Amino acid sequence: MMDTAKPQVMDRPKKSVKLAASQQQGEAYLAAVEAVLGSARNDYDAALAALPVPHRRVERWKYTPVASWWTDVSSTGVCTAAEAGCEPCPVPGMDAYRLVFVNGCFDAAASDLPVHPGVTCMPVSQVSHEQPVDNDQPEHAEWFAAINGKFGREGLFLRVAKGVVLDRPILVHHHSSGSGVANVLRHDIAMEANSEVTVVQWSSAAADANGSLNALTRVAVGENAQFALDKVQDEEGQIRHVAFEDIRQARGSRADVHTVTVRGQWVRNDLTFRINGEGAHAELNGTFLPLDGEFVDNHTTVDHRVAHCTSSENYKGILYGKSTGVFNGKVFVRPDAQQTNAYQQNANILASDQASMNAKPELEIYADDVKCSHGCTIGQFDEEALFYARSRGIGMEAAKAMLVHAFIGEVLQGLAVPEVRMEVEHRLAEKHRWETFNDDPGA
Amino acid sequence: MLKINELKASIDEAQILKGLNLTINPGEVHAIMGPNGSGKSTLASVLAGREDYEVDGGSVDFEGADLLDMDATERARAGLFLAFQYPVEIPGVSNINFMRAAVNGKREHEGKEPIKGKDFLDMVKEKAKLVELDGRLRNRSVNEGFSGGEKKRNEIFQMAMLEPKLAILDETDSGLDIDALRIVSEGVNAMRSPDRSFLVITHYQRLLDYIVPDFVHVLVDGRIVRSGGKELALELEEKGYDWIKEDVTA
Repeated sequence: MMDTAKPQVMDRPKKSVKLAASQQQGEAYLAAVEAVLGSARNDYDAALAALPVPHRRVERWKYTPVASWWTDVSSTGVCTAAEAGCEPCPVPGMDAYRLVFVNGCFDAAASDLPVHPGVTCMPVSQVSHEQPVDNDQPEHAEWFAAINGKFGREGLFLRVAKGVVLDRPILVHHHSSGSGVANVLRHDIAMEANSEVTVVQWSSAAADANGSLNALTRVAVGENAQFALDKVQDEEGQIRHVAFEDIRQARGSRADVHTVTVRGQWVRNDLTFRINGEGAHAELNGTFLPLDGEFVDNHTTVDHRVAHCTSSENYKGILYGKSTGVFNGKVFVRPDAQQTNAYQQNANILASDQASMNAKPELEIYADDVKCSHGCTIGQFDEEALFYARSRGIGMEAAKAMLVHAFIGEVLQGLAVPEVRMEVEHRLAEKHRWETFNDDPGA
Repeated sequence: MLKINELKASIDEAQILKGLNLTINPGEVHAIMGPNGSGKSTLASVLAGREDYEVDGGSVDFEGADLLDMDATERARAGLFLAFQYPVEIPGVSNINFMRAAVNGKREHEGKEPIKGKDFLDMVKEKAKLVELDGRLRNRSVNEGFSGGEKKRNEIFQMAMLEPKLAILDETDSGLDIDALRIVSEGVNAMRSPDRSFLVITHYQRLLDYIVPDFVHVLVDGRIVRSGGKELALELEEKGYDWIKEDVTA
């Protein structure tokens, strides 16, 4: 029924805005990936042929330069954490199940799969069926997602039976190393009614790594089920990282996605919530603090399709040096989605006069009895607060770190796993050379 | 302690201080009074190191060092404290973390180790008593959602924590009811000592009933035009500022 709702609301490209030069580069890239990754599925070929290879005149890619993608794809890289010299669990002290993917390969020796009644968890490569792909999924709307569909043969496969509450989080660790790698990962999660699961997705890369990561995560959250995803991107080296999350929510469910970009040369996150059942809640928060030369893009879509649902979104960015950020937050409220309560906040601080931020809230509301609010700001550090702190003998850098911590604190507090939050704070402090900040004055 | 010589300062090309002289010795309490726009708050800001102001001339010696050569952080660490007329709210930074960073900044300057958690909490407890600062205000974000009186008490609490050599109180009495005024003043009086000085900036004589100054100066149009003892404040209260202004221009 909702698909017949007028006007047509999804922002998927209606007409193809192909650019010959881009198409050519995309095809060359596709051939190179195929040469390295080998036999691919052909059921996404139609989508790939129909979709434009992103360029600046494709609205959703207006501020997102893709030129860096058209470099050599030349190797598959090593396949184990031991060979790559990476720690299987990047979060000290976290008690979690673990799936480690090195350069797109599943590393069984470094992994620790859950053995739990009602939970099926294994690498996608060992499964014969994946969830069917519907026409609204990113594979049919975005060229990079179609690439993922074509080449993605590995990832997390997770099924959680009715009423099952998994006792520990599942850590999905992506690691990239080597030169010219193209990692494609495809995670497939389906949760039955009243189940609960928390997933931590952590992406790392070696300092000399060079290549790309294309990750797509599909989650079907059943009735009254609760899903949480802590997504941390902390990649050294020169990694281009494109990530899609497609989250479908049934009645009464709750889904939380917290995205923290600690480090990343080029990051594009494309997060979509499709709220299909009444009484569901979607929570999406994110923060990014790019330094000189880094690029971070967050595109989010919250699609309210039915009545009586809520969503809350809070993204915060601080941009240093010559860094660039993009935020595009789309909220759809379809004609049937009465009594929707949707909130969106995006606040950004430009910490340098050479940084740039492209922020665009997009609310499309077709129902008349809803509460939707949004706010979007781009500013600078609060000079008054800085002077106040300095007048108390706090140094300029420490005062700024304090304001940063306060600014992004609410997003970090939202992370589902406390050990992840602590590790993220630690790594941010390391990256930005802040004095570590202890919240407990008695310590 | 502090020696200001022919200080001239401007903001946005408007000259506010036009050659101000003032000497404060250890243990003294000086009050600066004056009509609106005379430069009282500018003086406080310039001394604390607010960068919006341009110093166009003159010198300020603080404990034998050139105050104008230091940045705001260095001035605070050297022992200068400004109680703000409008204390700043910093959402997300707890009062207690803020103070610990401040105390440790000062200790670093003195070549000391960061304060131990327990010692810090004991110190907070002791100093908070001085101004009857509620325990819950210590854990809240700096000044966020504080009433006017709570903000001013928090200023005095911070002053007590940092034990400055010279404290400048910029219109600390503004926005205070009589009870808060008493509490704040008692906090200040408890901190008076032979080696700590105060510069109390106020528009009204009322505060000086509680914090009794050794000297009173009248600031008009960027200069100190009259100095005297505490009785000068009473005379001003009675006659207003016009009398002095006329006297000056005459």
